Amino acid sequence: MILVVAEQRDGAINKASLEAVVAAQQVGDAVKAVLLGGDLEPAAAELARARVEAVLTVSDPALAAYTADGHVIALEQVIAAESPELVILPHTYQTRDFAPALATRLGRPIVTDCVGLGRQGSTVTFTRPMFQGKVLADVVIEADPPWLATVQVGAFKAEALEQGSSPVPIVPVKVEIADGAIRQRPEAPFREARQAVDLTRADRIVAVGRGIKGEEHLEIARGLASALGAELAASRPICDNGWLPMDRQIGSSGQTVAPKLYVALGISGAIQHVVGMKGAKVIVAVNKDPEAPIFEISDYGIVGDLFDVVPAIIKELSA
Amino acid sequence: MERESLDVDVLIVGGGPAGLAAAIRIAQLQSERGGEPLSIAVLEKAREPGAHILSGAVLDPSSLGELLPDFVERGAPLAAEVRRDSVYFLTSRRRLRFPVTPPPLRNHGHYIVSLSRLVRWLTGQAEAAGVDVFAGFAGAELLFDGNRVVGVRTGDRGVGRHGEHKPAFEPGVDVRAPVTLLCDGVRGNLTKQLLARLPLEGRLPQVYALGFKELWDLPAGRVGAGTVVHTLGYPLRPEEFGGGFIYALPDNRIALGLVVGLDYRDPHFDPHAAFQRLKQHPMVAGLIEGGQLVKYGAKALPEGGWYTIPTPYADGVLIAGDAGGFLNSLRLKGIHLAIKTGMLAGETAFEAVRAGDASAGRLAAYRQRLDESTVRRELYPVRNVHQAFASGLATGLAYAGVALLTRGWWFRDPWPGEAGHERLVKRADYYGSDPPPEDASANAVKPDRLTTFDRLTNVHYSGTRHEEDQPSHLIVHDTDICRTRCIREYGNPCTRYCPAQVYEMVDDGQGGKRLQINASNCVHCRTCDIMDPYQIVDWVPPEGGGGPQYEGM
Repeated sequence: MILVVAEQRDGAINKASLEAVVAAQQVGDAVKAVLLGGDLEPAAAELARARVEAVLTVSDPALAAYTADGHVIALEQVIAAESPELVILPHTYQTRDFAPALATRLGRPIVTDCVGLGRQGSTVTFTRPMFQGKVLADVVIEADPPWLATVQVGAFKAEALEQGSSPVPIVPVKVEIADGAIRQRPEAPFREARQAVDLTRADRIVAVGRGIKGEEHLEIARGLASALGAELAASRPICDNGWLPMDRQIGSSGQTVAPKLYVALGISGAIQHVVGMKGAKVIVAVNKDPEAPIFEISDYGIVGDLFDVVPAIIKELSA
Repeated sequence: MERESLDVDVLIVGGGPAGLAAAIRIAQLQSERGGEPLSIAVLEKAREPGAHILSGAVLDPSSLGELLPDFVERGAPLAAEVRRDSVYFLTSRRRLRFPVTPPPLRNHGHYIVSLSRLVRWLTGQAEAAGVDVFAGFAGAELLFDGNRVVGVRTGDRGVGRHGEHKPAFEPGVDVRAPVTLLCDGVRGNLTKQLLARLPLEGRLPQVYALGFKELWDLPAGRVGAGTVVHTLGYPLRPEEFGGGFIYALPDNRIALGLVVGLDYRDPHFDPHAAFQRLKQHPMVAGLIEGGQLVKYGAKALPEGGWYTIPTPYADGVLIAGDAGGFLNSLRLKGIHLAIKTGMLAGETAFEAVRAGDASAGRLAAYRQRLDESTVRRELYPVRNVHQAFASGLATGLAYAGVALLTRGWWFRDPWPGEAGHERLVKRADYYGSDPPPEDASANAVKPDRLTTFDRLTNVHYSGTRHEEDQPSHLIVHDTDICRTRCIREYGNPCTRYCPAQVYEMVDDGQGGKRLQINASNCVHCRTCDIMDPYQIVDWVPPEGGGGPQYEGM
């Protein structure tokens, strides 16, 4: 059995957790999902529609606010009771916070940031990037199960989630959390930047690079973004200049995204940018330089001045 | 501001071979001689030990063997024993093999190593001996009491781009110790502070070189592990000092590099382009064709030799390794001297702490130890060699030959030398009335992105990462000079000698140019601090942990 540790916040399952369920469905027939927190009903009901055997809910006041200790203590008990072969977690910030401690507590191996999973008989192969994505390593664990693995955000497609024929049972699970066992005292969550955007959730992105030349020309990119219903993003020089906030930066020092559509305007395609968006399904590039590396990874390339091309596209879209 | 402080017995800044050898040596003396246990702390700016260090590297194991006689049994990562040595002179299309390998370049009994891995292993040895290694903490400034060094302040964390304190702000810690060892590497920022404050400079100004290195995975069967090749000549002109290297590691991996003297004259010379040209030379191109670039990095080297070494002690402080310029440029080796000087500094520090006296008078024992050791025996005879090469390749080679016979004696001793940046010639003087455009490289290469690359792509392969929201750690004291004087006089050479595209001249929107500093590309090589013709660049450590990731280099 494969156990997926799903993440919920305010009753909603995040996309990365659905991707983790997809990963589990690809390598095992028997999949269970577990949710931790306070009020889990809406999130559990959403998960119960997927093709899984059961959704376990660990609802405890001590887990209402996230703490690393709380997650480690609860999951240790759930894993002991369920004895899964494999535990899959989404490679989110929260998972990165507690998963190494959980693996250490259990004395089990963990393979992080997997982009692929494969199975041959009882052997599970974990594929993970090394050298900043330059090399993909296939990892096979020799130790006995249970194993832990985290899956890279965007490596599996949430759309590929197999739904079940009818909702599966939601099984409440009790755990013991001793007084004082949780050493962290969480404060209320807050967003550092008020309008922080999560570009990883966007289906469409319009990104601008140096070719935009000046801050005043950003309007033209905004126009295309709104015509497409897309989020606006940028390569590094734009954010370095302060023309767009840093949370809109795509690439090795920004966010890694895999939208359905990525429109790159005036972006040359430096490798630092490409590693952050090469997982996009359809890449459209507009650039004056026919030799710009961005065209090597584009599905559609337009060699031309973005100040001519973009207004024409906007006009066509709004016609 | 409230700062935490930490008191230790010996503080070592820099977890490289010098700093770790010092730490291990002190721990050994402590366990041999007993007494009150000493607390030994090593500050290392890299998040993981060894992540910021790279070298060729061929290791002369003599001093490692003195430090840890059973280093082989302890599992020191020695990639391959040297089996074949050769030296070639390259022209643009041809190669001429030296009939005999010159004695300084004979590497029988030496090992090809990844210095990054060796340092990670040495860190483990130090920790096992009870040394505290604080990885991810940079020494930001020296703490003084009068002119006496009393410790080091680590860098603040959580400072935003404009100097504002972010929610996670943590002020740096004052680490105080009766004796501080500066092992902060070539052009170390703390050693630089010390030399600016106290009259410790050597007899001649230090001269540096810039070394590029790449790791390549090749198709099987191209070159046997343990092969060492050095080259002279192309892609450098006789007026430029330096040479190439190829070291063959196991598993069809090679280290490939070029060292370029930071005392070149042509302001439009581009060291990174020269490295690309080396890869286009038939001898190298045939080797790496179809191979894969794995890693890229660059570092500066102190090449000036004996007369450029500063007085390596003052009240409360000792200097060891590259920070002090302990490198043999004729043999192209410094790791063994870093280890040896670290050991000698460690012994001196141990005795000073035990005696309760870390004054300059007491610490002068370090100089005596150096003079009586292999350090002087190795460096003194070649004391004038690098300066002789400043007169050109032929003169340098001829003198190097003479020096082998005369043990370094020459009519002019010291052979006069000057700082490398002072040799850079203005565009008008070098090119006359028809200089190239300000932003042009004299030796430009169009990268094919298979074996030759632009700087930005190369930076990606260095694994460099910094916290983005922090002040620039490259401080240019007057950026007006860049857009007014430097562009005209030298054509902004920083855009060419920086191996990581930190410096760019971009349109200022008013028909002119302005300097843009891409600080988070920085691979911490210090070339800008060294080579800037106006000497207005200060490299200071970025927030601890940031920098390249040189695993395997």
